[in-house]
Amino acid sequence: MNAKGMFVDTSICTGCKACQVACKEWNGLSGEPSHFAKKAGYPYRVANNFSGRSYDNTQNLSATDWRHVRFIEQFNADRSEARWLFASDSCKHCNNAGCLNACPVQAIVRTDLGNVFVKQEVCIGCKYCIPACPYGVISFDQRTGTVHKCTLCNDRIHNGLGTACAKACPTGSIAFGDVPDLKMRADARLVQLKKLGYEKANIYGYDEAGGLNVFYLFLDKPEVYGQPEKPVVPQDRLHISSGVTVAAAIAVAVGAAIAFRERGEKKDKP
Amino acid sequence: MIMGSNMAECHPVAFRWPLKAKTDHGAVLMHVDPRFTRTSAMCDLHVPIRAATDITFLGGLISYVIHSKRWNTDPFFKEYVVNYTNAATLVNPDFKDTEDLNGLFSGLSEDGKAYSPATWTYQRHPAPAPPVTEPKTFTDMLLQRVPGRPKADPSLKDPHCVFQILKRHYQRYTPEMVEKVCGCPKEKFVKVAETLLNNSGRDKTSNIVYAVGWTQHTVGVQIIRCAGLLQELLGNIGRPGGGILALRGHATIQGSTDIATLYHSLPGYLNMPDARKNHDTFKDFILTESVPLMTSYWGNYPKFAVSYFKAQWGGAATKENDYGYDYHPKITGDHSHLPMFVDMMNGRIKGFFVMGQNPAVGGQNARYQRKALAKLDWMVVRDYFETETAAFWRNSPEVKEGEVKPADIKTEVFFLPAAMVSEMEGSFTNTQRLIQQHEKAADPPDDARSDIWFTYQLGKSLKKMYSTSSHDRDWPIKNLFWDYEPDASEVATFRIKDEPSAYKLLKEINGYTWDDKKPLPTFANLKEDGSTVCGAWIYTGVIPEEGVNKARSRKADEWISPGWGFSWPANRHIMYNRASADLQGRPWSEKKKLVYWDPKKEVKTPDGKVTRGSWVAPSGEGIDFLPTKAPSFRGKDNGIAFDWLSGNDPFIMRPDGKAWLFAPAGLVDGPLPTHYEPYESPVANPLYKQQSNPVAKTWKVPGNPYHKVADPDFPIIVSTYRLTEHHLSGVMTRWLPWLAELMPELFCEISPELAAEKGIKNAEYMTIETARGKVQARAMVTRRMRPFTVDGKTVHEIGLPWHWGWQGRAQSDVVNNLSVLVADPNVTIHEGKVFTCNVRAGKRGGAA
Amino acid sequence: MMALESQAPHWEWYYIALYFFIGGVSAGAYFIGSLIELLGYEKHREVSKAAYRIAFPLICITPVLLIADLGRPERFWHLFFSNGPGSIYTNHTSPLSVGTWALLVYSGMSFLSFLNVQVEDGRLALPALKKVHEMFSRLPHKVYAAIGSFFGFFVAGYTGVLLNTTARPLWAGTDPWIGALFIVSAASTGAAAIALVMARRQALAPDTARSLQTFEQPVMIAELAIIVVMLAVAGRYAVPLLTGLSGVLFLGGAVLLGLLVPLGRQFMARAGTAERDGGVIITSAFILAGSAFLRIALVQAGQS
Repeated sequence: MNAKGMFVDTSICTGCKACQVACKEWNGLSGEPSHFAKKAGYPYRVANNFSGRSYDNTQNLSATDWRHVRFIEQFNADRSEARWLFASDSCKHCNNAGCLNACPVQAIVRTDLGNVFVKQEVCIGCKYCIPACPYGVISFDQRTGTVHKCTLCNDRIHNGLGTACAKACPTGSIAFGDVPDLKMRADARLVQLKKLGYEKANIYGYDEAGGLNVFYLFLDKPEVYGQPEKPVVPQDRLHISSGVTVAAAIAVAVGAAIAFRERGEKKDKP
Repeated sequence: MIMGSNMAECHPVAFRWPLKAKTDHGAVLMHVDPRFTRTSAMCDLHVPIRAATDITFLGGLISYVIHSKRWNTDPFFKEYVVNYTNAATLVNPDFKDTEDLNGLFSGLSEDGKAYSPATWTYQRHPAPAPPVTEPKTFTDMLLQRVPGRPKADPSLKDPHCVFQILKRHYQRYTPEMVEKVCGCPKEKFVKVAETLLNNSGRDKTSNIVYAVGWTQHTVGVQIIRCAGLLQELLGNIGRPGGGILALRGHATIQGSTDIATLYHSLPGYLNMPDARKNHDTFKDFILTESVPLMTSYWGNYPKFAVSYFKAQWGGAATKENDYGYDYHPKITGDHSHLPMFVDMMNGRIKGFFVMGQNPAVGGQNARYQRKALAKLDWMVVRDYFETETAAFWRNSPEVKEGEVKPADIKTEVFFLPAAMVSEMEGSFTNTQRLIQQHEKAADPPDDARSDIWFTYQLGKSLKKMYSTSSHDRDWPIKNLFWDYEPDASEVATFRIKDEPSAYKLLKEINGYTWDDKKPLPTFANLKEDGSTVCGAWIYTGVIPEEGVNKARSRKADEWISPGWGFSWPANRHIMYNRASADLQGRPWSEKKKLVYWDPKKEVKTPDGKVTRGSWVAPSGEGIDFLPTKAPSFRGKDNGIAFDWLSGNDPFIMRPDGKAWLFAPAGLVDGPLPTHYEPYESPVANPLYKQQSNPVAKTWKVPGNPYHKVADPDFPIIVSTYRLTEHHLSGVMTRWLPWLAELMPELFCEISPELAAEKGIKNAEYMTIETARGKVQARAMVTRRMRPFTVDGKTVHEIGLPWHWGWQGRAQSDVVNNLSVLVADPNVTIHEGKVFTCNVRAGKRGGAA
Repeated sequence: MMALESQAPHWEWYYIALYFFIGGVSAGAYFIGSLIELLGYEKHREVSKAAYRIAFPLICITPVLLIADLGRPERFWHLFFSNGPGSIYTNHTSPLSVGTWALLVYSGMSFLSFLNVQVEDGRLALPALKKVHEMFSRLPHKVYAAIGSFFGFFVAGYTGVLLNTTARPLWAGTDPWIGALFIVSAASTGAAAIALVMARRQALAPDTARSLQTFEQPVMIAELAIIVVMLAVAGRYAVPLLTGLSGVLFLGGAVLLGLLVPLGRQFMARAGTAERDGGVIITSAFILAGSAFLRIALVQAGQS
């Protein structure tokens, strides 16, 4: 079966955040607890997360925010260059997934449709997957004691539906489907944009982290959108760091052998 | 061209279509707006203009177009404009333009408060001899009063013809003037003009999109008209891809206007009986309202009106009692939102129902409006949550600051829980007049009930209470035709068994024959003899036969999708679509083919004869014209309605069948759109001596102080607007954590230039002040905002989204504490899009 | 600014950094002890015994720390049987998974070595434990010393590899050096712990003291060298380690107090060949504290 994935065409994202809300609605996610505080005279908690960073108040992905729309204002002083870029970000369902590689308990698994998801009943909350993700996707939730992230709507896609975010996206910026089909669409759209003069347009995710099942069309360099240009899957470096460590261990062992060799006796004997 | 609208943010779902046009068909999108918004971000071109200078910009476009080479050489434009608009029509020689009177039209009253349109009229030929001598019906009475045809000069050379008047009116609206008034670079203006010109004509059409960015001005109606003028001159009306798209509020603002929640209209845009007009008897009402319009399709006004009254009182409405007309309420003045609150403040309004509204946050000069609420005897608020309006008496800013004590407020507030949309069946009518049914998914919780449940049960209770009354004045309630009892099958799966039948309601709106209760397939079936019932004639056809609800149909295609829902009137999606064909009835071009005359097509007339020739629309689009009227048909001079209109009069709702470049009637502030400064402006009108709309509505009452022109205390322009993340006053969004966290707090968009001048830092608090109040907001310092240079002077503009109040999970100051009661004279919409203020760094402090 | 990197795991210093430290001391002590045993340096038998006495009790603390930091402590056993009881699981791409198994094996071996010492000293009273000892004594002690030594190194080093195998800027930026750093740090702290315990019991022979110092000094110099290399490799990513509280802990605590001061003290005392007991105790305490600061600084700075 072909891997399922999403193609996020940021050139037609209007920054409406419907994807963020649809995601929370379908997946039963609450408001992010850190965004709310008690207020005198009110029985409920009131939002206090104004950021001042363009229209982005949720700031990043978290255990309750599986989607996050970035707002990038690119204006020079006389406004002759004026651009406001939007891009909806989520788990990329990497083919070489740092989180999955790091998980010690097989709580993070890949399904037959290629999506990577966290088995909540297995996760022990060691949090090691969190720093292992080069995209800062997976996060810990104090309330469940486990980690959470986008599942690519595992329940929906295994029942013939697309993801909730793609369903809610009013402009088709988030498209769900078979990865090869989506790649064809992405290629065609890139050609179209290049023709219209978007020289910096690029597709992000064909090669990164072994290929991303959720990939992007950006109008500017990936860093502009907060994505590492060359994401390194941490485990790719495992052999080297292990080797250096083993070498150090051998050196220490040799050092010990030398330091504790029974020279005292030799000295004393004559 | 998107102007006066932030479509991507405020109509995000509809915005998929312009974007699709851009990505799939190479359409050019342009956004003309003071701010760089999410809409600007998606467009090919953003043209910044100072707020409320739209008429200068549009007038500039008009002037540019009619002086351009393309417009004067491509015969398409002449053919369209001469035949389909009133460009050639001759106007009363006594008419004086704003160019002659320095910003005023002829006819202004002595006190300067109102215009008389006597000099704005057409020159006419003598009236024809009436075809009937003894009038029996209302139609006969109309036939006795048919006016002479308007005079015209198709060469457009006569100095009194509309085209020449128009040309003179906009003579000074040059690119240089646009730059001076709007503060927008000349080159960008010319780019817009050239783009529109080059994308209009036989093969191409351009569309203009607007929303409340145009309406909420003291010249709101005129701004929209100005766009109409431009589109008429470019031949973009009645044709696919053309037109002016008025983005109505979601989800069914269009529907609520159609079914007339507005005080001055009856369903289907009939006028409300009015004590100030000659509406004394039913005959007076009919003649007063329909005589000026009878040579249009409105010649059928009597049929629509009688069927409406029949729907109100059913069997009790008879010819003998004028269908109950005398029992119908009449208006006595302007009862729209703003004057209603002034009346409330003055103790003239005792009780108030608030359903789906939150004036304590959304009302202009909200502090004034909240104080007016305190003068009521009682108020019923039906909503999902305890809104600011429901809670005003206990924790409003006035109460918290000690200015008002809850103990002193006598208003008794009843708060009733309302059902949400998915908890009730009904229909939405969207911005393109498309009616779509929605299902009830689940019962509302506990005591929450739908709007129709509440209204229906209230009506039933009232009828019961008045059933024994012997007062004649209680006749309308006693005889109210009020039967929407559900069939058992409609409520079978739900807990709530007394939910009224949405089907029965829609059937009444659609109309049916009184005797056998059969639904009417079209409004052509309506009668003025009391044999038909119709709640709103424009909806006729949505239920063409018993059990068929076209609002439920869901057949989509790649284009007009006539099988999706039902677009009033008669499933016509593009109004006046006769204009999509040329004089001879041929399509203007293959590419823009929609409705055209097929001379060979055989048509059976109702009496069984077969005639040749018919208008056809292969797409399935409804034809907004009499289908068998040949393009060469010459209208009868002594007829009414379709009989009077000729085969080349596409604008069938206009009494001359033409699109109006010049409005001889219907507007109270002039026949041509003219640049006036907003009521509060930091600059003097650069175009005329007349500063602002001379007949704008103002309320010089305590608590509603106005700023002076170029007031040194309030030198900054402020616009209020909405965001995608919240809906209006936030009742549907601010209580939801998911949405509250997306936009948690009020912020003020401010340019780095102004922020530096005032020492305001991003994300820190700042205070915005007017003579009405002060609010604090977090500063959002962004280059998306910019200062404008107007006539060599720098003018700063700030922006405030107004969604927040003191209740809910996202709370902030009420922005409308700043705004003021002032309104457009035609429709009494406020001027929330532009007024003046001052700003400083820091929190509000002290009394607001 | 926009996050270009991964999120922090929010590990608590008093669990994870402390585990890294205690595990390191235990493992360091154990592999010194077991190497001496394996190489048959009978003269330093007391060193071995001291090492075993230290290694096992310390490693007993660590599961408590590790489990306490879990979001779902009651599920810790998933680390070994993830698909339900009976199905043993290890993820070879996860240092955490492999390290957990190493810790398990190491704990067992250090327990057996500990038993040996107790029996040797005639301090084993419990009959059940005696039985266990008898059972395992069928194998030469050197077998589990060898296994324990290997896994001791593993436990000392894998924590560093674990940090390097992430996308956190500091931890990834210092790749591949934290593993090596933790190995040498474990070695110096292991030696220091042995010295400290022996000195406190006044059982530190001058020769032994000298040998321990001979071992410690190059190791500490190597540690300094690795730190320099690591910082050079990390470049701007090392900023969190050199600034703020982490900077104070790292530069002041780990480098100055933990390495430079002990080295200085030992060099100053060189004249008299080795430090006296009191001096050894103080120097060892500095080394141990410095190593704790090193772990805390690295773990916390990597999460800031």
